Amino acid sequence: MTEAAFLAPRRRATVYEAYEAPFPVPRSDAEAMRCRESVYRADLVNQQVLVRDPAHIELLYGQGYFGKGILSRARPDYSLSDRWQEFEGRQIPVISKARYEQLLSWRRDYLLSKGMDEEAVNQILVRLSEPIEPAAESEEAGLAQTEDSSQKKRKRSSSTDEQRRKYCPYQDRPHTDPAPRTGSSPVDDSSPMADSSPVADSFPVTDSVLDSAPGTDSAPEYVLVEGESDEEEGGSGGSEVNQGGVRRLPFSTTEVLQLTLEEAFFLVYALGCLSVHHNQKPLSISELWGRFRSVQPGFESSYAAYHYYRSRAWVPKPGAKYGAHFMLYRKGPPFYHASYSVVVEQVRSSGVSLRPFTWRSLAALSRITANVSKELMMCYIIYPADLSEAELTSPLCLHRLSVQEVVIKRWISSRERAELDDI
Amino acid sequence: MADPSKTDDSERIFSELLSPSELFAARSRSRKLPVRGQKDFYPSGCAQQKQRLQNSLDEHWELVSEERVERLGNLVRGIWNPSDQIVELQSPAGKFWQTMGFSADGKQCLQPEEALYLMECGNLQVFHRDLPLSIQEGYETFLSSSQLSLQQYQVFGHLKRLGYVVSRFHASLVPSLYERQLNLPPSRDRGANQLKRKRSPSPEATATVASSPRPSEKQEDSSNPSSAQDKATNHSQPSAAQQPPADDDVTGRCWWSDGLVPPEQQQDGGPSPAGPNSRWDFLSIQFPDLGARDTPGPLAPPDPALLPGAMAVGVCSVSSWLRRLNTWREKQPGGKQRRRREEEEERARRRTGPDREVQGCRSWAEYRRIMERRRKGSRRSDSRPAHLWEKDVTPLHDPRQGTSTAELLEKISVVKPSRWADKSCSVEAVGTWQISFDVHQPAVNTEFRKSSPGMPYSRMCVCSFDGPVPALGELQHVSQQSGDVPVTMAVVDHGDISFYTFKHFLLPCDLPQ
Repeated sequence: MTEAAFLAPRRRATVYEAYEAPFPVPRSDAEAMRCRESVYRADLVNQQVLVRDPAHIELLYGQGYFGKGILSRARPDYSLSDRWQEFEGRQIPVISKARYEQLLSWRRDYLLSKGMDEEAVNQILVRLSEPIEPAAESEEAGLAQTEDSSQKKRKRSSSTDEQRRKYCPYQDRPHTDPAPRTGSSPVDDSSPMADSSPVADSFPVTDSVLDSAPGTDSAPEYVLVEGESDEEEGGSGGSEVNQGGVRRLPFSTTEVLQLTLEEAFFLVYALGCLSVHHNQKPLSISELWGRFRSVQPGFESSYAAYHYYRSRAWVPKPGAKYGAHFMLYRKGPPFYHASYSVVVEQVRSSGVSLRPFTWRSLAALSRITANVSKELMMCYIIYPADLSEAELTSPLCLHRLSVQEVVIKRWISSRERAELDDI
Repeated sequence: MADPSKTDDSERIFSELLSPSELFAARSRSRKLPVRGQKDFYPSGCAQQKQRLQNSLDEHWELVSEERVERLGNLVRGIWNPSDQIVELQSPAGKFWQTMGFSADGKQCLQPEEALYLMECGNLQVFHRDLPLSIQEGYETFLSSSQLSLQQYQVFGHLKRLGYVVSRFHASLVPSLYERQLNLPPSRDRGANQLKRKRSPSPEATATVASSPRPSEKQEDSSNPSSAQDKATNHSQPSAAQQPPADDDVTGRCWWSDGLVPPEQQQDGGPSPAGPNSRWDFLSIQFPDLGARDTPGPLAPPDPALLPGAMAVGVCSVSSWLRRLNTWREKQPGGKQRRRREEEEERARRRTGPDREVQGCRSWAEYRRIMERRRKGSRRSDSRPAHLWEKDVTPLHDPRQGTSTAELLEKISVVKPSRWADKSCSVEAVGTWQISFDVHQPAVNTEFRKSSPGMPYSRMCVCSFDGPVPALGELQHVSQQSGDVPVTMAVVDHGDISFYTFKHFLLPCDLPQ
């Protein structure tokens, strides 16, 4: 069989970003001396790897396009609103009343689904949506003041880019403080929440976004709600819910970066720049490998393919949208359209297939791939015959695997003939 | 119009012959294909839709049930030979002979798939036991063999109708890797007569001639290497010319093997010690090294065994030669040079900056070490995380060192790509995956000669849609069978054919600038 020809990747029509670096590690000694921390932190929560620190999120996505923001489309730049305003020294988002009502209703539905009765739910919500006066909240402000100053400093030290300011600057605090700051905040619903959430610091087992009530871990998030008639600034709103003013957000909207298991393991093992913690305990590489293998069957093959593509300086992203394991981008998704749609297959003596194909499913996948102008590539991970199960428990088995790529294309007999006639 | 009526008068036995009115009707049939309108996606139940569907089905049926009319004179006669599974032509072949068929024993023959295709086209009539075969019988007879299945015939027919030239695949005719490397000109029957090359026997000089290892050449003073070489060549040239032509093909070609002259041709006779193929053993002959620092004293005379007979060699003084040898000595810094060097040092010091330690270092490696030490000192707080580095498996890269992208990629390239020629796994049952046909581009555009078809455009491997998809080992096996030509899988789904190519690939490394 002849070799498939390499087609140059198609550039996107407009590129909104600048290329920073292929990996989130320093490329020279000067860079190494400049960056403060060389190891980023992630948490293994509920079989997902999450990165919470905003600076880490920024670096991990900006250099290498690792992961996906859970509240965003791809780049973790979710913000509740486009407009922000100053309040007590920090920026808070401005949303309409309708939207605030909607958020309250979501909170209400959630509390009801937890089994609380209507009365208690209504009470909680009323207390939650009390307008906040800047002077009245002295005890909260007092506690929050120290936070504010440190936040302000940190805010200034980070870049003054518009986008960065938008994404939750008031969440820029170390994640390692478990003590709930605002003990006096009137959120009694924190106790039932606390029961369901195991540790105050880590996000609870289920709905990680909705469950973290403002009182449990960090200072409450504020939002400025606009009244219906006209815009009201400042915190001098009326005491009724219907009027505008500064309120507490019913739940946290901090952006968190979620890494796939292959990406997380690559950052830990190949680059050494990430450390994954589970229940506050850091995991070693072998433990991580073991956990990931038990969570995802066929992890060693898909990781081997991921590692191979990263070591050829291509960016593999999850390809569930197109029915494949990975989509390969040159440099990153913002710059080029994906060139290849990769399906990983393992060639082992046991003969088990990761994704058994019939001609029908292969034809379907080939059509989909052609419709989105990509090429279908099978990536065969070849296991040597003498590789035992015991060896697979350590990531060192990767050194023995090899990769064979095969490009599948549909040949149309009539079109080729017609093209020839034109010549 | 006249002919059919004549035959009609003479032989009324065959009802296939048409009367003039029938023939006229057949000739003036509309040649247009029915146009298919827009598809309806679900049955709406209304009468209009039903009527439309019925109309299109009727048209389709009418089209398929049309009888084709051919001139009897245009039909080529063939006879089916079941033992050889070929069709032998009785009458001369028509235009199809350019791309189909082969000659055997002076007769023109066709493969069964070609014969069936031509029958369907209306160019050929095949007789078996003196009766012409109908299309149905043709299908039954020709496609019953193990060599040709219905699916393969469907692929064949599909490609032929599009204009490609399709022929059977013969594994033996695929040139091997060696033959391709030789790049032989294409010959008519490569299988039949191999070109026999005359091979000249390799020189077997040592067998016939005296195997004395002693040298046979006059050797001058061994302390004079250059002039000795000249003299050697001088001697070997005339003596080479005097090589005995009597050493015919055995020793005639070994003029380089002994280096020098067979002793019989020497001008000076005498007991010359060696035969024509004696070898110098340079390991035992000591050549003095005049370039060595400690100047050797006068050289001792060489071993008389190395010299041809009547030479008396005495002690040689080497001083004159030493004077001629170029012994480079380092120059001591004179005044001008010393000043220049100091200026350069001053400039270099200014360039490296006020750091005394950096000024003192002599190479980039030292500089890097200094920097590393300093950095370690300042960042003692940021030590490597123990849970990553103190356990049994450590990361491949330490992010505290700055490494360029190319080096980093090199470091993490742990999973290697494999080559297509390497067998990935043992394949037992590859009987199902066989290459059936060679496909060449349509003959209209390219020059096609049946005798030398050249490299096919592609090779077809036919399989069924309900069957399995080939695994990697099977793909490799099939591509190895095919040699250099790409293989296309033709998947047949009850007459519907899709083609897929599986080509190996190596993703290029995309190094950022």
